[in-house]
Amino acid sequence: MKTLIIIPAYNEEKSILRVYDNIIDYNKKNKSDYDIIVINDGSKDNTEEVLSKNNIPHIKLIQNLGIGGAVQTGYKYAYEHNYDIAVQYDGDGQHNIEYVENIIEPIKNNEASMVIGSRFVKDIDTFKSSAARRLGIKLISFFIKLVTGKKICDTTSGMRAIDKDIIKEFASSYPTEYPEPVSTVHILKLGYKVSEVSVEMNERSEGVSSIRAWKNIYYMINVILSIVLIGLRRTR
Amino acid sequence: MSLVLKITSVVFLIAVIVFVLHLVKKEKIAVKYSFVWLIPFTILLIFVLIPGFLNWTTNLLGFQTASNMILTILVGLLLIISIALTVIVSEQKEQIRLLIQEVSMLKEKK
Repeated sequence: MKTLIIIPAYNEEKSILRVYDNIIDYNKKNKSDYDIIVINDGSKDNTEEVLSKNNIPHIKLIQNLGIGGAVQTGYKYAYEHNYDIAVQYDGDGQHNIEYVENIIEPIKNNEASMVIGSRFVKDIDTFKSSAARRLGIKLISFFIKLVTGKKICDTTSGMRAIDKDIIKEFASSYPTEYPEPVSTVHILKLGYKVSEVSVEMNERSEGVSSIRAWKNIYYMINVILSIVLIGLRRTR
Repeated sequence: MSLVLKITSVVFLIAVIVFVLHLVKKEKIAVKYSFVWLIPFTILLIFVLIPGFLNWTTNLLGFQTASNMILTILVGLLLIISIALTVIVSEQKEQIRLLIQEVSMLKEKK
């Protein structure tokens, strides 16, 4: 199955080449053929130079769009090029390429349309993170359960795989802001099957999370409101 | 409603309408979006101009004075216009996002 790895990158000059090389090495060793597209989301540092110099396939957004708009560009690319599976993957070295196989497995077996690489499938309390952050993720998880009846543990994971149907859906409609939890609810509401697969993630080596600490409360209100509003929509 | 207030209101309303029409003429406002301003302000103008109509509605709606009612109506109108503008801005944000994505993808193909 044609698989595309979409890497949104904003100011990732220090890590993007390593992330790319890791995937290429993995492809060679395992005879896998993951294609890669980096979406340079209007980086202000030398990300573009690094991408061009090393011939990394990429799209340079002419304006910064934020994570949602960048990832959606990747999905549009996947749709245009007829990919069967698209994987969203971080450009900062947080994700491990070995787990991509695990998260696309349920799609290959027709067991799910969307698979989330989850840092805590069973219990969030084992996840090493601040108490506030865990509480936030729990709260989002609660609202998703309330609206869709489905328990999603790692609601903000940036590592996820989607099948062809959802590539088409996301290419035309994808939430710009706070895309991870909101798009999950959107897909569940449309009646697709979403599953979670356990993955290990590294501490981020470079760059900052797109969810910044001081914006957390604003973030929570936004996400919860979005989830509740999608919940109020009538199911097709 | 005092005659002075009536004259002031009429002058103010006509000034706003003329100013909006002027901006439309200079193509600073699209005709489509000028209606957001022109229709409510024209209606308000007609209300003020019909003799006795303001006093009648003031009593009917329980306002103390006509000026209170006019102020309330104006605030209400501005609120609705602001919401309309928020809708327009949100739509345009979507359109701009689409443009950025498509142009960036096209540039990549060349």
